[in-house]
Amino acid sequence: MSGTIIAIGAGIAVLTGIGAGVGIGIATSKAVDAIARQPEADGKIRTSLILGCALAEATAIYGFIIALLIVLLLK
Amino acid sequence: MKEGDSTEKLVESLVEELNCETVFTIPVFGGIAVDEGVVVTWIIMAVLTILSIVFVRNLSVEKPGKVQLMLESVIGWAQDFFEGIIGKENRGYIPYLMTVALYLAISNVIGLLGFKPPTKDMNVTIALAVMSMFVIEWSGIHRNGLVHWCKHFAKPVPIVAPIMILEIVIRPLSLCMRLFGNMLGGFVVMELIKQVVPLIVPIPFSFYFDIFDGLLQAYVFVFLTALFMTEEME
Repeated sequence: MSGTIIAIGAGIAVLTGIGAGVGIGIATSKAVDAIARQPEADGKIRTSLILGCALAEATAIYGFIIALLIVLLLK
Repeated sequence: MKEGDSTEKLVESLVEELNCETVFTIPVFGGIAVDEGVVVTWIIMAVLTILSIVFVRNLSVEKPGKVQLMLESVIGWAQDFFEGIIGKENRGYIPYLMTVALYLAISNVIGLLGFKPPTKDMNVTIALAVMSMFVIEWSGIHRNGLVHWCKHFAKPVPIVAPIMILEIVIRPLSLCMRLFGNMLGGFVVMELIKQVVPLIVPIPFSFYFDIFDGLLQAYVFVFLTALFMTEEME
């Protein structure tokens, strides 16, 4: 029984991925938009896109680490 | 009950991978344990040092060889890239950033050769993040002076000072967790895919998780370090 609850908890922790996915999706769509408008600025757009993606992805990584700790340490 | 057994086995193998094994013990001061990550780091250091010596051996100004031209274009590209972030007047930090980038790039993809990637061990990423923390703060102190560094916590309004002070620790913490989580996450996903379909299907995933993700994370780590340094030097 406790195993099931632990699994549910880990699953809830991984739900942080939703935010990161939506965030990176919006950022990429805006970046594509910006490159289509101004193709000569693609270098600067790419660097800021990668920065934004890295920062948005961090939340998903935190959720993943918490889920992993729940599964591995509470079993 | 077969399902539960295989889950147990998977969890056991993951725990085994999470723990860093001690390779040998140096018999001084009551025994210093040397972990796997340290040994792989030594191997990477040796390879990089030997490659550096070999590549710079026969350099010439009049008649550059193929290797020299390639080396010059790569180093020039990296130098331009970092100069674009931290500015021309701070080029003294570029060798450090390039060294970290090289080490991270090799250690992230070394799993393909059968070694255990050192960055999958949290101690290594914590050490790298602490190095980044000192470089970031030192760059600010060196550029603007200690007084300005102490004062900049209270800008733009003094009420944000606790958050600004916490940021000293939060920035390297997020650097370290991002690198470690990405490496471990890629590894776990690869193990799960290999358990479900052990044939052919893992190949494209391996390209993504082992090569692309590793190189991207090395890039992101040094990119963010350089960015924080510029922020600190303003």
